[in-house]
Amino acid sequence: MAKIHGRFTIITVDGDNVKGTTSQFERTSDAHDVTEYGDMDHVWSGGLGGGTFSISGIYDDTAGTGPRAVLEPLIGSVVTVIRQPAGAGAGKAQDEVEALLTKYVETSPVADMVTWSADFNLSGAVDSTAQPA
Amino acid sequence: MNLSAVMTEIGSVLDALTGLRVTPHPVKTIVAPAGVVGYPESITFDVETGRGADRFERLPVMVVVADVTARSTAAEVSKWISGAGALSVKAAFEAHDWASCDDVWLREARFDTVTIAAVDYLAVIMMVDVVGSGEA
Repeated sequence: MAKIHGRFTIITVDGDNVKGTTSQFERTSDAHDVTEYGDMDHVWSGGLGGGTFSISGIYDDTAGTGPRAVLEPLIGSVVTVIRQPAGAGAGKAQDEVEALLTKYVETSPVADMVTWSADFNLSGAVDSTAQPA
Repeated sequence: MNLSAVMTEIGSVLDALTGLRVTPHPVKTIVAPAGVVGYPESITFDVETGRGADRFERLPVMVVVADVTARSTAAEVSKWISGAGALSVKAAFEAHDWASCDDVWLREARFDTVTIAAVDYLAVIMMVDVVGSGEA
């Protein structure tokens, strides 16, 4: 067991390996207040699961593999996102989920590299089975 | 991204500017006006995941002009340091289609006096940032 550096993370969107500078995978649950008379503290019950995934990186204009070619056309589409936080390898962690691309942003600062970012809503169950041998 | 290949390509861009004697690495002696490509102050690895990009930080590109006290030196150095013009280093870098890296950004220039073989020269030290693939 060891602490893992982010540089090993692999993200695949709709079959394409997307290289980035940071990504965030967030899972959530609806919370239903089921507090009743006699309870002295709130009581909760879980509901529908959900979540978001976001990724950002340095803009690359390579045709066919850059973010504009790979991600921008997917706006409004539900695609497969695979996240391997510790890289590829038998037994390593993996999350696979269908996700709706809701936002794609390109930012152009005058004194630095052009950057891009993409936001997804998780759609359906997340398969967190570890990578096969 | 190969450091030697980047330094060589930077040197070739300088070499295309008329009147500049260029070496793509530090040297012991020069004949002014000269261009010298130095080593970066640092390298940042893993700017992107999956060895997507590395960055050479503040790589010095020096144009050594002439005697710092000479009347003609200001006019001479202005040819190389202007933002545009036939001998503009900045313009040459912006126009070049880089092969050894993705981008070379000349971000700043400062002036100094450098002594080479016991002679004081006015030097323009241009700092460039280089970004390119972390794999090749």
